Amino acid sequence: MDLTFSDEELAFRDEFRAWLADNPPPPDPGEVADGARNAWRAAWQRQLYEGGWAAPGWPAEYGGRGATLTQSAIYFEELGRARVPLPANVLGLLLGGPTLMVWGTDEQKERYLAPILSADEIWCQGFSEPDAGSDLASLKTRAVRNGDDWVVTGQKVWTSAAQYSKWCMLVARTDPDAPKHKGLTYFLMDMEQEEVQVRPLRQITGEAEFNELFIEGARIPDDNVVGGVGNGWKVALTTLMNERAGLGFTLQIRLRQLLDDLIAVAAERGLLDDPRYADQLAELHARCEAIRLMAWKGLTDAERYGQPGPEGSLVKWLWSDTNQEATQLAADIVGAEALVAGTTWSYELLRARGNSIEGGTTEILKNIVAERVLGLPRLKPATA
Amino acid sequence: MDFGLTDDQRDIQRTARELLADRASPERVREHAEAGRHDDRLWTELRELGWPGIAIPEEHGGQGLGGVELAILCEELGRTVAPVPLLPSTMAAALVQAGGSVQQRERWLPGLASGEHVGAVAAATDGVAGLVPSGADADLIVLVEDGAARVLTPEEAGVEAVAAIDPTRPAARVAAAADAGEPLTGDVAAGVARALVAVSAELVGVCDRALEMTVAYVKERKQFGTPVGAYQAVSHRCAQMLLDTEIARAATSEAAWTADADPDRLRECAALAKATASDAGRSVTASAIQAHGGIGFTWEADVHWLFKRAQVDAALLGGAKKHRARLARFVGERAVVGATA
Repeated sequence: MDLTFSDEELAFRDEFRAWLADNPPPPDPGEVADGARNAWRAAWQRQLYEGGWAAPGWPAEYGGRGATLTQSAIYFEELGRARVPLPANVLGLLLGGPTLMVWGTDEQKERYLAPILSADEIWCQGFSEPDAGSDLASLKTRAVRNGDDWVVTGQKVWTSAAQYSKWCMLVARTDPDAPKHKGLTYFLMDMEQEEVQVRPLRQITGEAEFNELFIEGARIPDDNVVGGVGNGWKVALTTLMNERAGLGFTLQIRLRQLLDDLIAVAAERGLLDDPRYADQLAELHARCEAIRLMAWKGLTDAERYGQPGPEGSLVKWLWSDTNQEATQLAADIVGAEALVAGTTWSYELLRARGNSIEGGTTEILKNIVAERVLGLPRLKPATA
Repeated sequence: MDFGLTDDQRDIQRTARELLADRASPERVREHAEAGRHDDRLWTELRELGWPGIAIPEEHGGQGLGGVELAILCEELGRTVAPVPLLPSTMAAALVQAGGSVQQRERWLPGLASGEHVGAVAAATDGVAGLVPSGADADLIVLVEDGAARVLTPEEAGVEAVAAIDPTRPAARVAAAADAGEPLTGDVAAGVARALVAVSAELVGVCDRALEMTVAYVKERKQFGTPVGAYQAVSHRCAQMLLDTEIARAATSEAAWTADADPDRLRECAALAKATASDAGRSVTASAIQAHGGIGFTWEADVHWLFKRAQVDAALLGGAKKHRARLARFVGERAVVGATA
C-alpha cells in the first residue's frame, strides 16, 4: 500500500495547478441566456486547448498528453478544486473521442478528433429515448439504408448540449428482426439539418441542461457508421464505460467543497456544538472520505491490475446519496437562504435530485452490484 | 497510489485465511462459544506462529511488522469469529507500545508478544468498564478514560466474569480504584488510534463473512419457485451490505496505512475507521440475519455469532456516535482555521 502520489504525479498536478492559476477562465457571464454561457465555456475550452490541457488523457498522437489514468483523475480533481467551468465539449472530450479511438476508422479519427479538442465542433449523445431509459437496448429510433445514406426517424431525450452540437453520437435500430442488442448501429449524425429538431427540456431547477430530439428522416452517410453495422451495442458500451471515468473526480471534489462550505456555516453559527448537527456532518464527512478512497482504489486497481473492482457503481451510488443528503441538511443549517430561488444552496438542493437518476439510476446500480459483483441471480424480466 | 497488498502481506492473508478456515470452523466456534471459553489449542498454535507479536518491535520479542499486517490478521479473525484473545491482546500491546514509557514497554511487551500474557482493553467511566472482551482470562488490562490510560493486573483491576452476548472471548466487568494500576506516560492517543484500527479491521472481516454467507444462502433458498436473491427487496439489501462493508474497508485500510506511513493523520483516520466499521458491523450482520429469514434467527445458523461479535466490537473503545463526535471536532477545527486563514 502507498496512498501517496508519485513524484511524477505530483509534478503533473503542480504543473496544471500553476497553469490554472496563471490562466483563469474568462469572467463568469452570470445569469445570461444559455447560448452566452455556452460561448463562455467554449472560450474556456479553447484556452485549455491552446495551453495543451483540453484532454491530457488522450494519446499524444491525437493531441493529448498521453497522461496515465491517475494523472487524468488528478486533472479532473484540479478542475473541480479550481472551481472552473467544465469545457463546452465535455461529451466529445470524454465520450466521443475515446469511443472513436477504439472503434473509429483512420479516416474518422483524422476527420473528427481535432475539432473535438478545439471545441470547433461540439458533440452530444443520442442514446436515451422516452421509452428506453434504463432498458437502453429496447430503443426504437430506426435507421433505414437508402443508397449510400441512412435515413433516421425517432425521438431521443436527455440530450445535453444538443442545441450547440455539430455531431450526435446516435444509436439507432438498423435490424428490427434481430434480438434487441444485436440490431443496433452507432452513427455520427450531423445536427445541422432541418430533419433534426431540438426542443429544450425544462428541469426542476428551471434551467434546461437537456433537450429532446425529434428526428424525422434525417440523413447520415454510410461513412458515419462507427464500429460496423449491427455492432452498435458494443460501441455504445464503450461510450458508457467512459461516462463516469474522469468526471467523477470533479464531482467528488465539488461535493467536498459543498460540504466544507456547509461545515464552515455550521461552525460560524455554533451548530457544530449541537450533537445532532455534528453527528450528521461527521457522517457526511465520513462518506465523502469513503467516496474519495473508493474512487482512487477503483482507478488505481484498474491501472495496476487491469481490472476495476466493484467500486464504480458503489461510488456513484454513494456520491449521489451523499450529495442529496448534504444539500438537504443545508436547508436546516443555512436556513431560509437555502429555500430562496436563485441561491447556490437552493440550486444545489434541486439539482441533486437528478444525481440518483442521471448516468444510471441508483436502482439500476444496485442491480448491477447484486448481479455482477455479488453474483446474485437475475430477476426474469416480465414478458410482454 | 496503490491500495494493494505486497506479496508478503498477501502471504500473511492467505496463510491466516487457510489456517482459520480449518481451525476456527463454525463447529469449533460454536463448541467454544457454548462452553464460554477461549480455544486454547488454537491460541497455542497462533502463539507458535508469532501472531500475538506481529506488530510488536523485534527488540521486545515481536515480529516488527506494521499496522497493515496487524489489520490483515484482525480481519481474518473477524471473518471466522475465532475464539481467541488475539484482538484484545494486540490492542493492549498497541496501547503499551505507543502509550507506554520505555520501562513500561520493556516490562509488558515481551509477554504480550509471545502470547504468554493475554491483554485486554476497554474504555472506563470512573474506573468501571462493564464489558471487557477476553477480560476474564487477561493477565493485564488497559483501561482508557478521558484520554489517559493505565495498565492493571487482574488483582488491581477488580475483575468479575460476565457472560457477554459474544461468549467467544470470555468477558469481565472491571472496577478499578482511582489510584490502582500504572498510568501510561507516552503517546496514549496514538496507542488508542492503533487499537481502534485493529478492532475496525476485525469488524470489516465480520461484515465480509456475513455478506458472503448471506449471498450463498439467498442464491440457494427458493420461494415462489425463485431463488430469493433474485428479488430486488433482497438483492438490494445485499448490495447495501456490500456498500457498507466497502465504506468501512476503505476507511480502515487508510487508517492502517497511516499508522506507520503518515502518523500525523492516524488519530483522525482511526476515528473515521471506527465510526464507519462500527456502523457497518451492526447493519451488515443485522441484514444477514434478516436475509436468512427464520433460519437466521436460530442458534444453528451461525450468523448470530457474527452479529454478536459485531455488537461487542462496535462498542469497544467507543461506538460510531462517539467517533463521529471526534470527527466533527477535527473537521470543525479545520473549518475555523480555514475561516481565519
